[in-house]
Amino acid sequence: MKRMIALLSCTLFILCLAAVGTKAQEARFGLQDIPKIKNKRTLNTVVETGKVWDKIMPYIAEFTKKTGVKVNVERVASPVVYSKENVELMAGTGYYDVVYVETSWTTEWSPYLYKLYDLASKWDPAGIEGFRKDAENHSPSILICGQAYGDQMVLPFYTYHMGMFIRQDVFDDPTERANFKAKYGYDLKPATTDKELYDQGEFFTRKKGEPLKGKPLDHDLYGLAMMAGAYQINDEISCRIWGKGSDYVTVVRDSTGKLKEFVITKANKQALKETLREYKNELKWASPGCLTANFDFVVAQQGEGRAIIQPHQFSNCFAWTADILSKHVADGRLGIYPTVGSQPYTGAWSVGVAKASKNPEAAYWLVRYLASFECQKAVMKEGGQLSTRMDVLRDPMWHTSENRYPFGILCDYLLDIWPKQAKYVPNYWYFNTKAGGKVYEMQMHVFHTPMSGEATIDQAVAEAEARTLELTSKFDTIPIREEK
Amino acid sequence: MGPDTAVRKPSIWEILTSEKYFKWTLLIPLFALLLVFMLYPLFYCLYYSFCQWGMQGKAIFVGLHNYRELLNDTAFMEALARTFEVLAICIVAELLIGLGLALLWNREFRGQNVVRGLALLPLLVAPLVLSLLWNFMLEYDFGAVNQILTAIGLGKVYWWSPNLALYTICFITIWQWFPFSVFVLIAGLRSLPRDVFEAARVDGASNWYTFRRLTLPMLSPLIMIIVVLRAMWLIRLFDPLYGTTRGGVRTELLDWRVYRTAFVYFDIGYGSSMAIFSLFLTIAVCAVMYRELMKALGVIR
Repeated sequence: MKRMIALLSCTLFILCLAAVGTKAQEARFGLQDIPKIKNKRTLNTVVETGKVWDKIMPYIAEFTKKTGVKVNVERVASPVVYSKENVELMAGTGYYDVVYVETSWTTEWSPYLYKLYDLASKWDPAGIEGFRKDAENHSPSILICGQAYGDQMVLPFYTYHMGMFIRQDVFDDPTERANFKAKYGYDLKPATTDKELYDQGEFFTRKKGEPLKGKPLDHDLYGLAMMAGAYQINDEISCRIWGKGSDYVTVVRDSTGKLKEFVITKANKQALKETLREYKNELKWASPGCLTANFDFVVAQQGEGRAIIQPHQFSNCFAWTADILSKHVADGRLGIYPTVGSQPYTGAWSVGVAKASKNPEAAYWLVRYLASFECQKAVMKEGGQLSTRMDVLRDPMWHTSENRYPFGILCDYLLDIWPKQAKYVPNYWYFNTKAGGKVYEMQMHVFHTPMSGEATIDQAVAEAEARTLELTSKFDTIPIREEK
Repeated sequence: MGPDTAVRKPSIWEILTSEKYFKWTLLIPLFALLLVFMLYPLFYCLYYSFCQWGMQGKAIFVGLHNYRELLNDTAFMEALARTFEVLAICIVAELLIGLGLALLWNREFRGQNVVRGLALLPLLVAPLVLSLLWNFMLEYDFGAVNQILTAIGLGKVYWWSPNLALYTICFITIWQWFPFSVFVLIAGLRSLPRDVFEAARVDGASNWYTFRRLTLPMLSPLIMIIVVLRAMWLIRLFDPLYGTTRGGVRTELLDWRVYRTAFVYFDIGYGSSMAIFSLFLTIAVCAVMYRELMKALGVIR
């Protein structure tokens, strides 16, 4: 009898679990939840070139099949997306219905985008609550990046949230560990301070013929690989300055939490100077090629076994680096950790609905669908990019013995860092100003100049401040000032 | 006079197709295109160069403010100086290489068609694609060029170092455009009258003397055409920067500065003033060169 009761209880328990699972499955928004769309007007959107969108095209075809709304997808190189969309949005042409947004442009474009909650209340049978529930599956910090003044303007498509990539096999090597400890007096571990990163950069920078893991190197080795070119250096600087608990500009709110003003404080300036100084100092442990390097060259440096640490790299490059490394260094393995200060550069390519759209109803549903579990799984599994949906990252498929390296540890890293960083993101200046896109582009050039010797650090900081004040005054309605 | 005998006013269609005006009618589509795609944007740009406008709200008329700012903008002036440096290096190098190869390839030799065909290749590749390829090939650690240099026992060169990068950009540009000079000059050499050269040979003139006194003067109109065209294109040099340094490591040139100001910062007013300045500069440089060309052709003295 006891055995019978136990068996029945187990069966009941399994059934309950299955029911919960099915319920959870049902709760996920999918193509089947899109109601009949009255407006059949064709949608237009502009997105990046690349594999991920190649893989998403069949899903868009499915959307068309289900809704009867045709979607024209224009594909351009990433650096052109902003300028193409900016002109159309500002002129209010309504040419693009679904807008592809780098999250630092969200606030800037917020006057031209629909608030997604407003669209949900108008078109969604599940209402705002249904939308909110589904959106909650996304990373909390990335969702904030897609907000303007607290309103969700865009939903993430894929993330490039940064991380620190290290050669785990080298860090775990007993000889290297012992030598490091003997030289610096503390254990070799993923750097959490600038001093540790500098030491590690120095320690691992070696000439051809010197040993690594007991074997002589057949090429020069660099401790660090950095993106100091005039294109992505500012993302690295953001990691550093945020990691210091500072920012380019301080966001000041009133007692109700409403934005009051932006201030370039003395502390902001000091933190930027320190950051640039540290960065330049560490460049000596990186290949000279880093002065013109973007993410691809830096990935290649570590992938080819020529660099030990990428101190701040887009996490969507992790699997790529691991793949190259496996071809060049037989026992090479990567690890991913938070950048120094644990506040990596964050954001996502996202999708939103243009206010000038002639078919906001269908555009809303396309945005929802692109951010859905189904599409996001394809983004990661087929497109090789990183979804921001935590339910996708928690999928057991990434944690099988086959996928554990590199995808499983990458998923674990993101699932761990996102909630931790979420409390800081609302006050990052990039995500609060309408001048974010412009200032971001300006910083690329200005932060590069002291690295190439075109300007001193003081000159670069002064230039960055002057341009930030000028661009923000011109493009934002929130006042900005400099603390004298 | 009765109404049936009155002189009928010709219709627009009749005027347009009349023998007198038909030649002008044929030009209407061209004028329309010029108006829409050239003159209108040009005047729009000229108007905005006197305004402060960031694509939001209304443009504010600021008179000559942008131009005054331009003259005091050290970064802009540096970009201008670099542009002239690139212009001088590229034109001289392309002419020397072009002339040398044109003289060499003007002779009959085995495989001449293959060689000439291959030489055309750089011109056929899109400038941006070519610059991206060179960017990879010249990369410090794993670029093909440094791999070859290392393999033959020479050290690696950091082609994109702040001291070398501008010259690397020049090299990429020269690589792409030298065939243009070669083929223009070969065409020129082929069209030179043979009897003059035969007479010189009969008179015992050396090859160098013949080249200096006959070939070069007769080719000078074509050389001037190359110089004028290349000067126009080089002032607007953009693609090699986009594919390589993106204006970093001291390689910001005039057009990159204009692009960054107008389409990155969206400071349309100031960017327009830069574009207008660049346009007048191109016109001025080319006018001087055109005058020299006309002199060389003997059209003016």
